[in-house]
Amino acid sequence: MSFTARLSTLTLSMALSLGLTAPAQSTESLFGFVKGAETLPQGAMELYQIIKRRSDKGQGDYTAYNLSTELEYGVSNRFSAGAAIKMQSLETSGLIIDGYLPKAVDSGLKFSGLEGSMKYMFLSPALDDIGLAGYMSFNYDWVDPHSGQDKDTYSLETELLAQKYFLEGELIWAANAGVEATYADRAEISDLPEDFEWPTDPEMEIELKLGSGLSYRFAPNWFIGLETFYETEFETEVGQERWSWFAGPSIHYGAADWWATLTWFNQLSGGGEQYESQLDDDLHLIEKTKNEVKLVVAFNF
Amino acid sequence: MNFNGLNSLWLYPIAALSVPAYAVNYFSVTDAQQALFPEAQKFIESPLSLSDEDKDRIKELAGVRQRQDQQPVWRVEAGGELIGWFIVDDVVGKHEYITYAVALSPQGKVLGMEIMSYRETHGDEVRQASWRQQFKGKDVQASFKLGDDIANISGATLSCRNLTDGMKRLLVIHNEYLSKSS
Repeated sequence: MSFTARLSTLTLSMALSLGLTAPAQSTESLFGFVKGAETLPQGAMELYQIIKRRSDKGQGDYTAYNLSTELEYGVSNRFSAGAAIKMQSLETSGLIIDGYLPKAVDSGLKFSGLEGSMKYMFLSPALDDIGLAGYMSFNYDWVDPHSGQDKDTYSLETELLAQKYFLEGELIWAANAGVEATYADRAEISDLPEDFEWPTDPEMEIELKLGSGLSYRFAPNWFIGLETFYETEFETEVGQERWSWFAGPSIHYGAADWWATLTWFNQLSGGGEQYESQLDDDLHLIEKTKNEVKLVVAFNF
Repeated sequence: MNFNGLNSLWLYPIAALSVPAYAVNYFSVTDAQQALFPEAQKFIESPLSLSDEDKDRIKELAGVRQRQDQQPVWRVEAGGELIGWFIVDDVVGKHEYITYAVALSPQGKVLGMEIMSYRETHGDEVRQASWRQQFKGKDVQASFKLGDDIANISGATLSCRNLTDGMKRLLVIHNEYLSKSS
């Protein structure tokens, strides 16, 4: 049996066994991209399966799937820690972006990175006037999420997360502000197009992130929301290199022992670098796409 | 595109949907009445209709909104005498409403409380006698601060807060409307 087949069998068995026997534990995210400020209670565990689809760079075909399987554990009632393994598939053709997208790719799904994260809740949204938490994650990726080429990327992200309940918890607001520092080192590609720029010197970037979301429980177990995220990257040589602003609706279902959130994100505007002959000049489409759809399914135990 | 490794992962949502619903009803109204007033001979259904002005007044005094226009209330009697009030209420849980019953003395002190249905992930401890007994003897003048007067349960803070606020609201309702009809 191949590794892929064994992984599939293992994952299927795990998913089905969890579905049949999951005991009652849970804390959950009402949003796909914006994080809440609550942590798992001590001793609780949560298994997340995240699937994100990124598509449409304005020209040619571009569709990427990013999958992340994460396990989070409540170390204390205020501190939780998690670890994730990431996978990616990319299918792109009809679009070459100098310096970023060197050739058509049909990579299939493959392991692409690892992530470790931790979260500390300073103030509880349900107990204090406003909830406040600090979040930190460390990522190591060996596949470039944009081009699908080999690229070692190390990133450290820190975020401040705020959350507030209104209407006894039927209306929830959350906001995030964060900074991500990235060190990336591309592998050489032997069959590049002529005069194609593909720097292999290590590069560093700083990214700022601001996000906010509002979610309302319109029926028992069901929440509908709207969320938005602004991201901008800075580099030593060019200053602000690029920025993008996404927004879209979320729908969330929460039961006692599992929950799911589906978010559709559309790029409303963007700027900075653009690729040659880019038609949508009010969007950032070199590293981002026009659309992102994210599904998060979690089991609590 | 090759999706060999993706196939089983797409089954997670399907597996999730196979999880049975976690709706637990612990007490019917009759069961809760018997548990909280074992000596009672008669439960007289006396639902309380509340106008918008009433609801505004309750919110002003309790600090939390009164969502229901009609509050389920029973007058409890033994030997032809009023021995208390039995009230059923719902508060917002993290996913669903938490239904609970409260027994009040004619003077407006909490005699007992039972959780009738609780469908949340964490915080099943609210059903335990040790948590419920924290309310016993409290009246409308008592302090109801979660974390100080009433113990919080980690992972179920919203449920604990809304149950605590709900108890305060029911005592306000008794003080404003039921005590005057005793």
